[in-house]
Amino acid sequence: MDFSKILLVLKREYLTRAKSKSFILSTILTPLVLIGFGAFMVWIMTSETETDKSVGVYDQTGVLVENLIALDSVRYSNVSDLPIDTVKAMVLREDLDAYLLLEEKHIETNENAELIYGGSGGLAFSSSVRGDIRDVIQEERLSRANVSDEVKELFARRPGLDSRKLTEEGEAEDDKAGFMSGVGFVLGLLIFIGLFGYGAVLMRSVIEEKTNRIVEVITSSLKPIELLIGKVAGVCLLGFTQFTVWAVMYIGISIAAVPVAGVLMQDQISEMADTQDIEQVAAEAGFDPASLEVLSIDPMIFVYFFLFFVLGFFMYASIFAAVGSAVDSEQDTQQFMPILMVPLMGAYILNTRIMVDPDSTLAVVASLFPLTSPINMITRIATTDVPLWQIGASLALLIASFFGVMWVSAKIYRVGILMYGKKASFGDFAKWIKQS
Amino acid sequence: MTIIHVENIRKSFGKNKAVDDVSFDVEKGRIFGLLGPNGAGKTTTIRMINNILGPDEGSITINGQIASPLTQKMIGYMPEERGLYKKMKVGEQLLYLTQLKGMKTKAAKEAIHYWLDRFDASDWTKKEVGELSKGMSQKIQFIATIAHDPDIYIFDEPFSGLDPINSDMLKDIIIELKNNGKTILFSTHRMEQVEQMCDDICLFNKGKAVLQGKLREVKASFGKNTINLEFDGDGSFLDKLEGVRLNNRSTNFAEIRVLNGQNMQDILKLAMEHAEIHKFERIEPSLNEIFISTVGEDNLKAQRLEEAQ
Repeated sequence: MDFSKILLVLKREYLTRAKSKSFILSTILTPLVLIGFGAFMVWIMTSETETDKSVGVYDQTGVLVENLIALDSVRYSNVSDLPIDTVKAMVLREDLDAYLLLEEKHIETNENAELIYGGSGGLAFSSSVRGDIRDVIQEERLSRANVSDEVKELFARRPGLDSRKLTEEGEAEDDKAGFMSGVGFVLGLLIFIGLFGYGAVLMRSVIEEKTNRIVEVITSSLKPIELLIGKVAGVCLLGFTQFTVWAVMYIGISIAAVPVAGVLMQDQISEMADTQDIEQVAAEAGFDPASLEVLSIDPMIFVYFFLFFVLGFFMYASIFAAVGSAVDSEQDTQQFMPILMVPLMGAYILNTRIMVDPDSTLAVVASLFPLTSPINMITRIATTDVPLWQIGASLALLIASFFGVMWVSAKIYRVGILMYGKKASFGDFAKWIKQS
Repeated sequence: MTIIHVENIRKSFGKNKAVDDVSFDVEKGRIFGLLGPNGAGKTTTIRMINNILGPDEGSITINGQIASPLTQKMIGYMPEERGLYKKMKVGEQLLYLTQLKGMKTKAAKEAIHYWLDRFDASDWTKKEVGELSKGMSQKIQFIATIAHDPDIYIFDEPFSGLDPINSDMLKDIIIELKNNGKTILFSTHRMEQVEQMCDDICLFNKGKAVLQGKLREVKASFGKNTINLEFDGDGSFLDKLEGVRLNNRSTNFAEIRVLNGQNMQDILKLAMEHAEIHKFERIEPSLNEIFISTVGEDNLKAQRLEEAQ
């Protein structure tokens, strides 16, 4: 192995790509697109999706309707005096969106009340009506049972749950499980995107050398394995450049964002402070001034991110390169893509489970299995306290399989790059591995 | 002095014996031609000499050393399937390829500068290869092959795809390199190029080296049993000839290989009866004729048919 040649290949691979316009553009634009997408998601989640719907209440009990109207006078109106056929006609004419049929038995027994709607219902609508009905029926039941105000008060209270984490020092620190599982998922996602994105970059680069017919010129100067390692390392470094730029942008934005967010929140809080207790307001707004501190991430996580990305990339990239070497154009890669898609997509899908349940057996297995561990382990590390032996075992397995996969891929690669005009199959792969 | 020594090499791909027990020596300072139809094993042999492939059996030594990354530096190789990075600038690209051959940056830059100058291509250094015309990028390809000043030059089918100007230029380069004491090995399936340039030849067919030696000796060994005939008039009498093989036939010219030691005077008589003879000359057979008689005509036809399919 001649490292000066590997270095030359690495340098070329890195520089020609890092200087290209598409790389510079994607480095700058990707975070902007992500921020835009995130903002869009937040907007969708918080925006009022409920439209005002009118519900006629056909109440035979005579007690519930007033409470409903008191709850929401825009939505509910009393139609108890009209004949039921008229009410139905109104719904069909769309004067009303729906009508609610309430009878004594709904208070006395556990039978469900009925909501009959015309044109469109919608889950959000029916569940919000269900909430209202529960409230008024429960209230009615309580007053019929003649319970004291104290008991009513007890029912009105909703018990909550605050969670805190116990650390080695014995101090309970603010829990950031929610935030950290988000971070874990994002880190796993970044590795997923990195493996796929940069793997594809490498694959295209291998195909390019084949279609440009330069690869034979190059292999008359160095060993195919040196070319392969140099290329993989070059693209890996490219990935790091991009991640570093993004990390710097993230830190820059958060440093700039904290005071701005603080000021905005402060305004909001002081506005309401006249009438209510500040803490309560802040809590209601879903904002705790201390939560900005929570946004800090343990630097060790980034070290692990680095390790798992590099090892995972070298393993997957060598497969991408082997696939690239076997074809003459990008279209021909289709038949081989499942060997890459299945484990990578699998790891991504598993990640959505692991993020909420990081200590399950499934999560442990997925974070040890080398084809999924680069993605799944980083999510676990961020989300929970992973025992060191598991991290060690995961890394060891990953390194071992990296060598195995690289060895096989290199064999395919060295034969594949010199094959022109022939569509290779999995059978050819086996032949090439035996041959070299 | 032997500079490339090939001894009993074999290489199979699956069941296909691409190279089957081939041996030959290339002498320093000479032009060596590897001939043979497509698929005869020329490219596989060349790849093994370049240490791109390893032989299954046998050995190859370059300057006394077993083929290895070290010997790769002694060779400038232009493959049949050749090209350059389209999106890389000419200067950077030549520097990269020359450095890969183990040249130091400074020396590499000087050599590249010299050759670009020689080819009137100094203005191109900042251009991407994709912007160059085909002829221009062929010149860059030559420079990439020779800039690191190796002792041995290997060209696989060098003239295929070259325009006539570059074809002549390459011939001049090859002659110049030879005059500077360099060794050149090239493969081709076009015999006339070999006749013009080669000192020594090795004939390949179906993975075997079927004939080799100094070009002149090989030709002399076939004797002067060929007739160069130029005539005016009806050429149909040629079809009546028996025990001969006609090569290079056209309306007023024919190269007639006389088989079975037939009397040449009879052929002349017959020709005179039917046409006006301008030239009747006994010559050594052309390389093409030698190739055909070595490999066997039927054999060759079958192969050409396979190729066509």
